Amino acid sequence: MTPMIHGLVWGLIIGTVLVTVAALSIWFERKFAARIQSRYGPTLVGPAGILQIVADALKMMQKEDIIPEKADPILFRLAPPCTVIFTLTTAAVIPFDENVLAADLDIGVLFLLAVGGLVVFPVWIAGWASNNKYALLGAMRAVAQGIAYEIPLVLSAMVPVVLAQSMRLSDIVSVQAQTHWFAFWPLGPGLIAFAIFFICSLAEANRIPFDIPEAESELVAGVTTEYAGMRFGLLQMAEYLHTLIASAVAAAIFFGGWDGPFAPGLHWMVLKTLVLFFMIFWIRWSLVRFRSDQLMALCWKYLLPLSLLLVMASALFVHYRAMET
Amino acid sequence: MQSSAAGVDPHLDIDTYDPGADLMVLNLGPQHPSTHGVFRVKLYLDGEIIVKAVPYAGYLHRGVEKLCEELTFVQIIPVVDKNDYVSPMMNEQAIAMACEAMLGIEVPRRALYLRTLFAELQRLASHLLWLGTFGMDLGGALGGGASLFMYCFRERETILSLFEEVTGARFHYNTHTVGGNRHDITPKFSHDTKATIRVIEERIGEYVQIFSSNRIYRDRTQGVGVLDGDLAISLGITGPLARASGVDHDLRRDAPYHIYGELDVNVFTESAGDCFARTLVRLNEMRESIRIVREIIDSVPEGPILGIKPGKSPGHIKIDASQRYSCIESPRGELGTYVIGGGSNRGASAYRLKIRSPSLHAASCIPYVFPGHTVSDAIAILGTLDPIMGEVDR
Amino acid sequence: MGYFIDTARAMIVTMRNVFRRPTTVQYPTEDRVRPERYRTSFALVHDEEGDEACIACLACERICPSRIITVKPAGKRESPVTGKKRNYLEDLTLDMNACIFCELCVQVCPTDALIMLRELSKPTLSREGLFLSMERLYANEALAHSWGTGTRLMEMQDPKRGLPAPEPNQEVTPPGVDPIAEGAS
Repeated sequence: MTPMIHGLVWGLIIGTVLVTVAALSIWFERKFAARIQSRYGPTLVGPAGILQIVADALKMMQKEDIIPEKADPILFRLAPPCTVIFTLTTAAVIPFDENVLAADLDIGVLFLLAVGGLVVFPVWIAGWASNNKYALLGAMRAVAQGIAYEIPLVLSAMVPVVLAQSMRLSDIVSVQAQTHWFAFWPLGPGLIAFAIFFICSLAEANRIPFDIPEAESELVAGVTTEYAGMRFGLLQMAEYLHTLIASAVAAAIFFGGWDGPFAPGLHWMVLKTLVLFFMIFWIRWSLVRFRSDQLMALCWKYLLPLSLLLVMASALFVHYRAMET
Repeated sequence: MQSSAAGVDPHLDIDTYDPGADLMVLNLGPQHPSTHGVFRVKLYLDGEIIVKAVPYAGYLHRGVEKLCEELTFVQIIPVVDKNDYVSPMMNEQAIAMACEAMLGIEVPRRALYLRTLFAELQRLASHLLWLGTFGMDLGGALGGGASLFMYCFRERETILSLFEEVTGARFHYNTHTVGGNRHDITPKFSHDTKATIRVIEERIGEYVQIFSSNRIYRDRTQGVGVLDGDLAISLGITGPLARASGVDHDLRRDAPYHIYGELDVNVFTESAGDCFARTLVRLNEMRESIRIVREIIDSVPEGPILGIKPGKSPGHIKIDASQRYSCIESPRGELGTYVIGGGSNRGASAYRLKIRSPSLHAASCIPYVFPGHTVSDAIAILGTLDPIMGEVDR
Repeated sequence: MGYFIDTARAMIVTMRNVFRRPTTVQYPTEDRVRPERYRTSFALVHDEEGDEACIACLACERICPSRIITVKPAGKRESPVTGKKRNYLEDLTLDMNACIFCELCVQVCPTDALIMLRELSKPTLSREGLFLSMERLYANEALAHSWGTGTRLMEMQDPKRGLPAPEPNQEVTPPGVDPIAEGAS
């Protein structure tokens, strides 16, 4: 099989699975959020409300396609599909198992971060093209937040790269399988690097506590104010996908991917991804959001210096370990 | 006039004090997820900083004071219920007190105890609603704020069930009337109330843990929306807003009515005047209400609940052409009623009934407090001002 | 940093709540028990002898703050039950669109004819369905009644309740007390 066909086939499979999991996670989030809030969540449609997702998708698809008169016609329509496309593309390099990988690039991490960073653009374009002051405010905040949090994200993702001495994601996972998971060894720095990566992923995906671009209480619906029907559905889907993929990446590069104490395989990867995904939901329904300047202060004043130090520390660690052996 | 936090006179026309500025006008419009009712604030933004804020009220004006000139005193009480629709019994209480004072009616002791009890429970319910909606403002309808909102409303429902047992309605009770109360408490009211406030007391500890002791929350509210004590007094702001700015004034202690004179009401003040201070004051008031309810719930004396014979006709209460202002401490501040008797229906209606609503004065500090803050702060400040538009517009 | 600890504390509170029973009442499959005094829609009742209790005195029409009650008296007729002549009601419409559920009409009714219900009546699909005519009001008599009837409310509010029997010159008479026939407007 040429890499192209391998990539296409596995890409399709992984893409479909991810989109399905993201859709199911909407149901799970609604049920979980409901239980946090002393209520039941969807119960009527299908057993335990699981067909609610289907009902919502159908509802969104049959809604009237409202486009504001003064909105930029091309950019307004272009933005929502682009968010989904850029987000899904990053899933191509994630190692779900030793052979379950769409594209085993040797610059895997670079590809991940570069394409993932592109997601800021469609969000910004969506807000700008809406010709709405609330959307514009949301878009500007999204840009500021997205660009700012890229840097600690990249730097904290560099820590496993330095420790494994390779950018190929399957290599990073293999090194972890042979030694220890990078979140726990070296102890301390690894966990902090994971924490920074986690926080920055939350910020990139615009999840609470970093969801000011789409803060309903302040900006009606922020960036997505003027979007209706399936376009809005795509923007929301992109957010869930981004979160899911970020947790998959974190599971791969910090928690050993498909490695496990016994019977390594795909199931470990799935388990770790879902655990991290669950944590993201749990955080969302427990915290209030940051103000935009406090968010920036957190990034520039705390996360950035810390992640720089961590990269340097991991480089020193590898150097001295290499010298010992 | 006092100048705002940003040092500009908020009543000056925008083109006069900064003609070259390229400002964006944003309507925190009447339709907005968190303007606490239909309230419009026109913001002039420089980037994200507010340079000038102009509030527009009147979207919920229903002509209640005009209705007071046609409907009689007996009939107006259920209508006035809808002013401060979050703590309805306060409105009824204010009018009833004014009329009783003008007619010289002695309200029986039992009714006074009941009124105080209900007032404190209403205060607790109102502050719970405030806390829940404030959480939504800060944390979003899809997020941590919504969790706090559901918790607060779950607790508030228990209080409303107590009222439902007594009066038959969860909201808009029409239970106070001129001369006393219309509904008496049931024998198991005391037991239910004690169980309810015990639960609420524990849950307040949980809210503090999820919310007000949270670092993120503190960052959002400390130093935000500082209201100067002198400005508060000159604008006529009372209640938790003024107390958080250092003004030590509480009608329950300083001008006691009903049986507050026999109780020891602790008044909590803070000096910071920011949103965090207001949160602390309201949380402390919640605990204080619980303490007061616990103190008097078992010592309600026996006796009648109405000091005059209940009437069968609308013209039952007639007041001659005298004037009276009487006020109570509602959860938002001083809720007053100024009654001039001798109106139509041979004195059964008021000639003029003016309602002094605390939320209107609270909303009037917006042009002074908003400038210099960002839009996110504006929402937080508006949340802590706790304006109830039914009261502001009447 | 402090943020992590506070986040963890908030998350503990929310997780603790996951394990509590939800407070939702799944209406209409479940319903909560309404208290005795719960007041919702209206009904006209018959008295113990089976005669229509309403005497068309127009007290409810006069007291209503929202002016939603319209009473049409039918004049004096012989009662089929007692044989005596008494006032009867021809039509009474109550517009539930504008009712504020203040209970004043129930309180002033001298014969406990107009009462409120404890049981929720079925919702209707048209605005006309909210105009309760006399037939619907008498049909509502079959639903559960609220505790608060005119007599009971007046008894509860009696200023002499719970007091020892007063001396003859100790009446608590307010200014302007009026009997029902005075017809103040």
